Amino acid sequence: MIGNTVIDRVLVRKYIGQSSLLFLSCGAALFAFAWVRVWVVSLLDMGQFQTILEQFRDFEKFAPISFDALFTYVGRVGMTYDEPIVILCTVIWCVARGSDVVSGELGRGTLEMILSQPITRKTLLISHATVSIVGLALLCLCVWAGIGAGVYATTLEESIEQPSFRIPIINIDIPLTTDSPETQTIRLRDRVDVRTYASSTFHLFAFGFFLLGLATLLSSIDRYRWRTVGTVVAIYVAQLVMFGLGKAAPALEWLLSMSFFSCYKPQKMTSMVVDGGLAAPWSLTSAPPDCALPALAYPMILLGLGLSFYIAASIIFTKRDLPAPL
Amino acid sequence: MTPNIVVTEGLTKRYGDFTALTDCSMSVARGEVFGLLGPNGAGKTTLIRLLLGHLQPTSGQLSIDGIDPGVDGVELRKRVAYLPGDARLPRHMKGGSVLRFFAEMHPGGNLDRSLEVAEILELNTQTRVAFMSTGMRQKLALAVVFGVDTPLLILDEPTANLDPTVRGNVLNLVMDAKRSGRTVMFSSHVLSEIEDTCDRVAFLRKGKLAHRLNMKDLYQRHRITAQLNQTVSNMDAPETIASRIHTTIDGRSVAIVTDGDLAPMLSWVDSLSLSQVRIEPLGLRAVYDSVHTGQEVVV
Repeated sequence: MIGNTVIDRVLVRKYIGQSSLLFLSCGAALFAFAWVRVWVVSLLDMGQFQTILEQFRDFEKFAPISFDALFTYVGRVGMTYDEPIVILCTVIWCVARGSDVVSGELGRGTLEMILSQPITRKTLLISHATVSIVGLALLCLCVWAGIGAGVYATTLEESIEQPSFRIPIINIDIPLTTDSPETQTIRLRDRVDVRTYASSTFHLFAFGFFLLGLATLLSSIDRYRWRTVGTVVAIYVAQLVMFGLGKAAPALEWLLSMSFFSCYKPQKMTSMVVDGGLAAPWSLTSAPPDCALPALAYPMILLGLGLSFYIAASIIFTKRDLPAPL
Repeated sequence: MTPNIVVTEGLTKRYGDFTALTDCSMSVARGEVFGLLGPNGAGKTTLIRLLLGHLQPTSGQLSIDGIDPGVDGVELRKRVAYLPGDARLPRHMKGGSVLRFFAEMHPGGNLDRSLEVAEILELNTQTRVAFMSTGMRQKLALAVVFGVDTPLLILDEPTANLDPTVRGNVLNLVMDAKRSGRTVMFSSHVLSEIEDTCDRVAFLRKGKLAHRLNMKDLYQRHRITAQLNQTVSNMDAPETIASRIHTTIDGRSVAIVTDGDLAPMLSWVDSLSLSQVRIEPLGLRAVYDSVHTGQEVVV
């Protein structure tokens, strides 16, 4: 036992063993995907990218930040945090681990033997939460590390602007040379500072922590894991739909304040770093221009809700009767 | 140290309208093997799970070694090794890892002892739990429980799914535990196992404690069954033994239940002109049947 019987090291070791395969799979997928995605960013010429995006200006309201921010390498790399694969791997870890703690063990019938040992139910819950939360933090770091590896390993070919002469009044540029455009090789790390994504990584962690807490709470109430997973996914989808509707229809904008997705703003944090420096997303006092709350308040809301779910789960689990194995 | 390690008083557990256990008051003395008997749904497992703190009682008091599970469940479970009726173990672990896990979880755990028990039960601890048969998993759970050194052992149907040889080994382990001064609470549907091991037995029926029996008393009781050769007008026993006899006549069949030494009875039985006489110890079966059917228990 560690720290006044709060965490049981034997249980922690068991939970690590139980979750290691899932962790390694998700971690490898996140690291590799983040790396590859950075490399893909380098393949797309900035000018062409701008042309493509301009076609979708009408849909800019659905984007988490303005399209202009995406014309930079920093902005495009920052989009990694909103990629479905990153979100999916995080959600899979959180739902799988959160739903396991009570209803999962009950379903497998193993909770009876474990709780017959001299541990409190709170110890079990906290030991499980320790492994899940540390695992989540490491997965988020895998994304960041993948981005870092991509940024440090990638080089870019950029064309050097040709000297030209602009004819006054009609504003036409006439090149001063007929040679093919020259390109130069630059390192992506010269364009992108990996530290920019620290706050985005923190947002991903807060997003996952919220889901972990929610899944743990529902697991502590239920006795069937499939039902716990189903309920978490249903809530997730409902929140996503509310967020989408709130973005799409001005009349339904109030839905945004009821969806936890409104607190997940990794790209916003990236653009804040670009505009205000590395410390900008960590402010709890000044709100960004188009946000109601200071930047750090959003992940703190997710962390606060997640913690509340954990506390509620602990109270419910401590008081409930342990159903006999199914 | 109190003489009784387990004490319950007016223990009741209700689930809505359904009452799983009603007003159960009993005690288990230190160092005895105590049997819990009853049909399925009688409340045996509910009683055990209440003792361990897995369920919250609706009303009543309970304690193990003077500790209420609602007050200090951790301290209580340090004194108990428990085998659930349907013991399930982490499927991703190998047998040896399961034994190590539980030996480390419990302060009274001893891996060497668990491995020793596993060997007695002829269990291969290299196999992963997921690939074990039901019987193998039961053996593994038994190795977990008998490996822990606690004053109280609670075993819920410990011999379920085991072959006769291993059943015998398990009963030997129970008796070893008794010899080393530990208390064993033992629930089973196999009456012969209870007869072989228990000092006292409690019968539960429909959530109520229906009967208590000291096994020493049971061993001194016999049933004599026979056919009457002719109608006997007087079957009254001599005064010296009359108080220890209960006679039932059904047509020509007669059943006599006796208590105590058989020798003084035999001359009286001989005088009754009976044929096809059978004398058998009055087993637990007879008591169980009486309790189960709600009849008066003759013994």
